[in-house]
Amino acid sequence: MARGKAKDGDGNWKKFIWNSEKKELLGRTGGSWFKILLFYVIFYGCLAGIFIGTIQVMLLTVSEFEPKYQDRVAPPGLTQVPQVQKTEISFTASDSKSYEPYVKNLEKFLKDYSADQQTENIVFQDCGEMPTDYKDRGPYSDAQGQKKVCKFKREWLENCSGIQDPTFGYKDGKPCILVKLNRIIGFKPKAPVNDSLPAEVMAKYSPYLIPVHCAAKREEDADKIGTVEYYGMGGYSGFALQYYPYYGKLLQPRYLQPLVAVQFTNLTYDVEVRVECRAYGQNIQYSDKDRFQGRFDIKFDIRSS
Amino acid sequence: KTETGDEEEKYKDLKGNKKKKSEDLKKELDLVSVAKLLFHLGLSSSRAAEILARDGPNSLTPPKATPEIVKFLKQMVGGFSILLWIGAVFSWISFGIQFAQGAESPFDNLYLGVVLALVVILTGIFAYYQEAKSTNIMASFSKMIPQQALVIRDAEKKELPAEQLVVGDIVEIKGGDRIPADIRLISAQGCKVDNSSLTGESEPQSRSCDFTHENPLETKNIAFYSTTCVEGTATGIVINTGDRTVIGRIASLASGVGNEKTPIAIEIEHFVYLVAGVAISIGVLFFIISVSMRYKILDSIIFLIGIIVANVPEGLLATVTVSLSLTAKRMAKKNCLVKNLEAVETLGSTSIICSDKTGTLTQNRMTVAHLWFDNQIYSADTSEDQTTQPFDQSSPSWTALSKIVTLCNRAEFRPGQENLPIMKRVVVGDASETALLKFAEVILGDVMSIRAQNKKVAEIPFNSTNKFQLSIHETDDPNDKRFLLVMKGAPERILERCSTIMINGKEEPLDSEKAEAFQTAYMELGGMGERVLGFCHLYLPENEFPDTYPFDTDSMNFPTSNLCFVGLLSMIDPPRSTVPDAVSKCRSAGIKVIMVTGDHPITAKAIAKSVGIISATSETVEDIAKRLNIPVEQVNRREATAAVVNGMELKDMSLQQLDDILCNHSEIVFARTSPQQKLIIVEGCQRQGAVVAVTGDGVNDSPALKKADIGIAMGIAGSDAAKNAADMVLLDDNFASIVTGVEEGRLIFDNLKKTIAYTLTKNIAELCPFLIYIIASIPMPIGTITILFIDLGTDIIPSVALAYEKAESDIMNRRPRNKKKDRLVNEQLAVYSYLQIGIIQSVGAFVTYFTVYAEQGFLPSTLLGVRVDWENNAINDFEDSYGQEWTKYQRMYLQWTGYTAFFVSITIQQVADLIIRKTRRNSIFQQGLFRNKVIWVGIFSQIGIALILSYVLMAYWFVAVPFAILIWVYDEVRKLFIRRYPGKLQERNFLISRPNDSRRTATPDANPCSLLFFYRHSSLALSQTIQSWSDKHICPVSEGSLIHGCHWLEEKPKKPGGNK
Repeated sequence: MARGKAKDGDGNWKKFIWNSEKKELLGRTGGSWFKILLFYVIFYGCLAGIFIGTIQVMLLTVSEFEPKYQDRVAPPGLTQVPQVQKTEISFTASDSKSYEPYVKNLEKFLKDYSADQQTENIVFQDCGEMPTDYKDRGPYSDAQGQKKVCKFKREWLENCSGIQDPTFGYKDGKPCILVKLNRIIGFKPKAPVNDSLPAEVMAKYSPYLIPVHCAAKREEDADKIGTVEYYGMGGYSGFALQYYPYYGKLLQPRYLQPLVAVQFTNLTYDVEVRVECRAYGQNIQYSDKDRFQGRFDIKFDIRSS
Repeated sequence: KTETGDEEEKYKDLKGNKKKKSEDLKKELDLVSVAKLLFHLGLSSSRAAEILARDGPNSLTPPKATPEIVKFLKQMVGGFSILLWIGAVFSWISFGIQFAQGAESPFDNLYLGVVLALVVILTGIFAYYQEAKSTNIMASFSKMIPQQALVIRDAEKKELPAEQLVVGDIVEIKGGDRIPADIRLISAQGCKVDNSSLTGESEPQSRSCDFTHENPLETKNIAFYSTTCVEGTATGIVINTGDRTVIGRIASLASGVGNEKTPIAIEIEHFVYLVAGVAISIGVLFFIISVSMRYKILDSIIFLIGIIVANVPEGLLATVTVSLSLTAKRMAKKNCLVKNLEAVETLGSTSIICSDKTGTLTQNRMTVAHLWFDNQIYSADTSEDQTTQPFDQSSPSWTALSKIVTLCNRAEFRPGQENLPIMKRVVVGDASETALLKFAEVILGDVMSIRAQNKKVAEIPFNSTNKFQLSIHETDDPNDKRFLLVMKGAPERILERCSTIMINGKEEPLDSEKAEAFQTAYMELGGMGERVLGFCHLYLPENEFPDTYPFDTDSMNFPTSNLCFVGLLSMIDPPRSTVPDAVSKCRSAGIKVIMVTGDHPITAKAIAKSVGIISATSETVEDIAKRLNIPVEQVNRREATAAVVNGMELKDMSLQQLDDILCNHSEIVFARTSPQQKLIIVEGCQRQGAVVAVTGDGVNDSPALKKADIGIAMGIAGSDAAKNAADMVLLDDNFASIVTGVEEGRLIFDNLKKTIAYTLTKNIAELCPFLIYIIASIPMPIGTITILFIDLGTDIIPSVALAYEKAESDIMNRRPRNKKKDRLVNEQLAVYSYLQIGIIQSVGAFVTYFTVYAEQGFLPSTLLGVRVDWENNAINDFEDSYGQEWTKYQRMYLQWTGYTAFFVSITIQQVADLIIRKTRRNSIFQQGLFRNKVIWVGIFSQIGIALILSYVLMAYWFVAVPFAILIWVYDEVRKLFIRRYPGKLQERNFLISRPNDSRRTATPDANPCSLLFFYRHSSLALSQTIQSWSDKHICPVSEGSLIHGCHWLEEKPKKPGGNK
């Protein structure tokens, strides 16, 4: 079998790449290459057409206003602001550079919540100062134009609103975080049943509220957390139900999701403190696999100098 | 050329050894004289033990076996395994780095590495198991009952295992024994040995104590290891044991002939290189791209792993092994036992078969073929299972002849075989007598009772000086008191003794005219290569020879001349009835059949003619010379299509001349050849670039068997050495089985091609996701593990199912594949699979992918460029097209759904791919969807496995269905083009298989000239019509070369792109 193999080995390579006798490049003449290329241009052109066509057909079957399935996105996740790289807040109170990213992040996030952003009455609706029931705004279509959005006043966040203290407490070593429930179209969170809640949460109970509570992740950190202040609508630490359901980007482009600000006023310095915040509701679940479903945990590392 | 040089040296070496050996022998002679004294004593046990310790046991060293662990490790690193190992190692490296960096989920890579390693190890174990299984078949085959030898030791006769024999032992042998070592005889009584395992010559040779020749191979006083003693007894002294025996030396010569790679092994290697080349180059290319796109090195490495895994058809090599072993099983059912799995395909690419005559082409028994009486030649039925004879039996001459045939015969049936067909019964007696006995039994019925009624009163057995056999009988007619003298023998000797000849039952004087008629008949029968016997009789006058007459065979007191000549019978070892058909099949399949035999040229030629190896119309140079009445030298050698080459001529030929003969004659018979010459012939054929199959049975054939691309040993007549050297064993010794083997071999090649095309297609659909993931930064469409699910899960059974695909009608009408050009995986196949069907599949799978994401909230436009954020663990409020926010885990969950959907849609489209791969050019409607039931098993298993592995909403199963239909329609259109415009550009563009396929089919519309080629060789009757027809249709010279051979064998390196 080895016989003859050496013969056609080397010399033919060059000839294969460019055969000057037959004017062949890589074994084909120019005309042949042209035909081949033409074939593939047409072939791939048709395929691309088919691809775009089927995608368009598929998009026709999908509603503009609500997704077909939501089984992967619900139950909702609970997330915090600021979010910088990792779920960790680490700074030195005396060094403004060290917490600048957090402050900027918070400020950027809260821009939409400023009073001057919520002036247009066509878009915004005053939903009261206290938690009330869901506000259904009809079918998920633009037959009635865009849907109104409940106002959420930045002032409700008090110390964490950034109005009085533009550093959100960071310069005093008392960092604020904002807690929000992930938006899900049509999702109506149900207020929790009384007896399943921690005592602190029960202290300020409302039937129209999804309470939020933060505590040490680990037992041994319990004493390092210190006092935790909650600011939210009507002084409740939770999400009021009148903000639900969410009608989607198209119908409520300026939707303001309800927020709860959490300020840690007495965190132990120079130690990593893990805090877990949970939202409580009948249809808010937690999962071992998804650590951000209905709860999240965040690490504080405040250095004294 | 150096290779052949080496071989020649080896022969010289062997010859040299023989010389040395004769010197040894002289030394041994002293030993013999001593031994004669010690004849009754033999060796002492202690001395024997000493010698045994010195020389080792008396057995042939088995060929060096590769240690099991080496075999196993070879499977672990062969083929694609290396690539997968690289993938696994990269996974572990990236795991190590990620782990050191404290990343969140480093274990994914660890698992991936483990899975890859597992895949390699499992496929390795599987391949090893398959190989071990096929070697086991052979191991059981070669295992023999330990041979016993009767030895005199310590002055006692002992039964010892032959292995323990040592030089100097005195052994006794008797008829039926296998000779336990090389033995120098010291006494012999009517001893005859069958040296066929050594020389191929099956005629028993007598052995005595006389030293008759310098050459130990020729001398009468040496019996060789592994030959058998046919009759008589002998005592001898062991002169050589184990590997030092003559047979041991030949065996080691055979093992010296290197194992060549089988064509399919080369093809698979080529395929592996091709795929590995594609995998590595795409991998490296995208590694560079991803690095230059500012991906992290670590990420780039992970992409690289993905690309490798996507490109490597992990399950394919296992599938190929399974397909081959399935075919091997199927061939075993058809009496071809394949030792080496890869040899299955070799047979299919065979272009020359060098066949033995005796036993392979013929029935290996003498049979009466012709009779001559009443001045007329009658033909007898020579088929294997004759029960009657059709010729005219009414003539009284025949009655007389039949009586002679019955009575003048010493052969007898072994008792207790009454229920067997006559042809199958075992007979005690020599070949011709057996033939006559069976012939008589078929026509007359119970021969033994006829003989009993005609009591034998005297007999002279055949001997070489008389050249006749004679017996005297009483008649079965109680009123006829005369004795009947019957005689048979060499026709000319019989005729000498006759004065009258029987014509139509009447005795007529034997005049010169009648003697002339006899001569003509004798010449004619002899010219057919048949062994002719003459028969005559004489009723002894009652008055001279009364009842009590004392017949004396020594003094011959009865007349042995002036007899009455009755007739001639001629015998031949007739061809097997299936052989002519098989030979013509070979011809239409473009396979040249060369007969290589030790027999006489005339007999060889006659058999070659009767089986079609030399077709009725073709002539040898000698024939032409005779016809034109000119000297042989003046004949234009190119005109002769056939050649009968004598071994003596071959000896004086240069390699150049041999090549000339092999090249210029399409029908060749080698007669009177020696084993070494067989090897030379095989090498000559291989020089022409042919894939050569060689059949053989004796030990002497083993070098040629080994040298051949595929050696075929005979299962019944074959010696163990031949079976060992061969790649395949024909269990029924029948040439026709080779042809079925060829068909199976071609089928498996076609089917493997289909399997590979099927497997390669989805590689693109697995690869594209990675490329688009890297370039467009979309969420990963399919995971590495999911790819393994396809490659090793859903796709395995369907690809094996393609091995069950029935042959397309032209399979035996095209020429053997040219091993240089007709690759298993060629440009067309790769391009069509990769760039056309593969791309359609990818498009279909991506449509499913986008559908899944769109229906869950991510419209296609949102997906582009999101990769970094999408994969960021810290972002848990990732916004989709509707403004919803997703946590990381929710995104991952969606991504897995995407994997499954992608997987499902590839599976669905692979069903279409499977269906289109069933045929190369015929429409599915022509081939039939339901002929191959296994395909359906494949399809259902595929869908079933996919159902088990996935839990996606059923809706996603149907997204790819339109694309599956598109694939099928597209392929039907392509096939339609191929059928409509054979050989046109379209075909070359799309056809998966050989570009010139259509020319090779023998269907009339495909190409009239190949049809001509086919008929010229198959039918004489048509030749006239064809002649006039071919004058009308001018056939191109290149087609004419079909008939004259070699053109197609030349390795003309066609420009690589010529078949576009």
